[in-house]
Amino acid sequence: MKHVKRVIAIALLLCLAAPSALAALDLPYDTYTYDYWGDVRFTPAAYVPTATVSGGDLTYHGEPIGAFVTPQDICRSPGGDLYLADTGNNRIVVLTESMDTVQNIITGFERAGGWDTFNAPTGVAVSETGQLYIADSLNHRIVALNADGTLDKIVENPQSEVLEDDFEFTPLKVCVDYADRIYCIAQKMFEGIMVFDTDGQFTGFFGTIEVKISLWEKFWRRIATKEERSKQKLYIPTEFTGIDIDDDGFVYASNIDTDGVQAVKRLNPRGQDVIKTGFRENLGGDLWTDGSTQYAGASKITDVVYRGAGIYSLLDSKRGRIFTYDHEGNLLYIFGGLGTQRGTFTTPVAIEAVGDTLLVLDSYRAAILVFGETEYGALINQAVALRYDGDETQAVEKWQEVLRLDENNELANVGIGKAYLAAGDNEQAMLYLKRGMNKSYYSVAYKRYRNAILRDNLSVILTVVIVLIIGGVAAHRILKKRRLKAGDAK
Amino acid sequence: MKSLFNKEKWKTLFYTVNHPADGYYWIRHQDTGSVAIAVLLVILFSLSYSLNRMYASFVVSSVNPRSVDSLQELGGVLLLYLMLCAGNWSVTCLMDGEGRFKDIAIAIGYAMVPLIITFNLATIISQFVAENEEGFYTIILILGIGYGAIMMLTGIMQVHSYSLGKTLLTLFLTLLAVFVIIFLVLLMANFIGQIITFFHSIYLELVFRT
Repeated sequence: MKHVKRVIAIALLLCLAAPSALAALDLPYDTYTYDYWGDVRFTPAAYVPTATVSGGDLTYHGEPIGAFVTPQDICRSPGGDLYLADTGNNRIVVLTESMDTVQNIITGFERAGGWDTFNAPTGVAVSETGQLYIADSLNHRIVALNADGTLDKIVENPQSEVLEDDFEFTPLKVCVDYADRIYCIAQKMFEGIMVFDTDGQFTGFFGTIEVKISLWEKFWRRIATKEERSKQKLYIPTEFTGIDIDDDGFVYASNIDTDGVQAVKRLNPRGQDVIKTGFRENLGGDLWTDGSTQYAGASKITDVVYRGAGIYSLLDSKRGRIFTYDHEGNLLYIFGGLGTQRGTFTTPVAIEAVGDTLLVLDSYRAAILVFGETEYGALINQAVALRYDGDETQAVEKWQEVLRLDENNELANVGIGKAYLAAGDNEQAMLYLKRGMNKSYYSVAYKRYRNAILRDNLSVILTVVIVLIIGGVAAHRILKKRRLKAGDAK
Repeated sequence: MKSLFNKEKWKTLFYTVNHPADGYYWIRHQDTGSVAIAVLLVILFSLSYSLNRMYASFVVSSVNPRSVDSLQELGGVLLLYLMLCAGNWSVTCLMDGEGRFKDIAIAIGYAMVPLIITFNLATIISQFVAENEEGFYTIILILGIGYGAIMMLTGIMQVHSYSLGKTLLTLFLTLLAVFVIIFLVLLMANFIGQIITFFHSIYLELVFRT
């Protein structure tokens, strides 16, 4: 009896202990990924909300800086400072990397002896040399300031034959590469990203999105009269929404794809898309988008951030999710959601990476939401980075740790399977590669395994085959003779 | 049911698989076939089909095993079998077909044998197949389906004493008939539903009035 009581007591204690352990991970959103079959598979949390930074909490020289008003963009400078386009307040707020102190507030600049200000700056970018580029949208210009705050140049009113005469230049997002070329997403500019050279001269478009018209739509347009056609909707490509540049000068540009197939491009210096789309050939965010509610439909990707080692994250404003892919187009993890709780968004507009953390700018809540990586997220990031650098053996250790936390992680299984394959352990390789659902590598392992078996047992197999053939022929002859004899007897 | 345990009937089955034209002729004219065996074969085919979808190696199969519901597939296959038989019977009745409903059921049911064999064989072979060797798997399936189709064609031809052209024509009309059946069934279901709602609303009216 005493024994039973003790067991019950221990069981009760365990019950009490379990929820508290879970409570630490009680997040307002799910972390998940899509498996080989395209089914949702929930995983441990990859990122957890760690802080929220809003304008009301910050002071500059002892004075409160006041709440942000519809901020639109954040950018991390190479020095580590954070530049925030506080659009509604017509200012740029510069925060330190820890985001607790304001380093500077830029409200304008000196120009031709006078003081010039911004009007709804919607985009910021910092070049490698520390120059600050501001998409001053309602002033229809891009302002480039030197690190000390003096004016470097102003890009406005671009002139070119390819631009229409009544085109009004309204820059929304801006980005600078290592050669100080300016990449700009402009309002109502469907031809692509506008590129300006170092002097601010417009040089051309970049990464045009092609219009997709189905055969059926073409047919209807063909039989429609001119009058009808003028009333139909126009087939124009979608605009780009966000832009970032990786270490090699390749441009990552996100766009809204209503089909949910490809919402991000990686553009080489010639403007061609060179992104890898993975085995699923999908970089469009969520795969499960069916339904007829407001909440259904393809993800609306509003921004992209390149995070190093080939990893990039997309920000979805439809369901408030962050999708992270590696350089091969494999989906690593998905987290985030809409709401008003800590760690959820109402109108996410921009995403930025600072070290291990991810920052998401919420325009309506006027705050920066900070997400810190968990052990699970860190392990995946490190493993992918190691593989990106070609250090597969070290990556395997990380993948094994990942499997400890998430047994069904396909990438981890494939990573380990490949290591076994390289080490020559075909059976183990087959096991892991099958779990990871990697057809081609599984086939390589299986072929080697099959060949080894055939080679080792060649003499036995050949003997059996020869014996069977001889036996078969002999049996056939004996039976024939008997049948003949039986026939004779009749 | 008794014919399931009749050795002669099973012998006829294997004879028919080997000699379709001859076998089906005797089935029609000497009643050597068995409807029970035919239905059993259709059930076996449905099972083999589900097994193939569930257990064929992921190297060759693009079906998510989680999405396979073998009972649902069994229902679907049986329903399709019934509709094919009914459709063919209604068409051939009008086109001087000699076959009875029973013969049609047997002709289609017996044609499942090559499908059953090859589907299971393909499932097993898929376990020993690597990428770029999917051809072995597909060719087995194609051979099975091809032989099954030939058997079904000869079966229908023999039980009705048709020429090949007329058989093909009736098969096409059978498909049309199946669509008509589906349409009528849906229509009827809709009407019955409306009648039920009508009486239901009368009932509700009476209940709420009092």
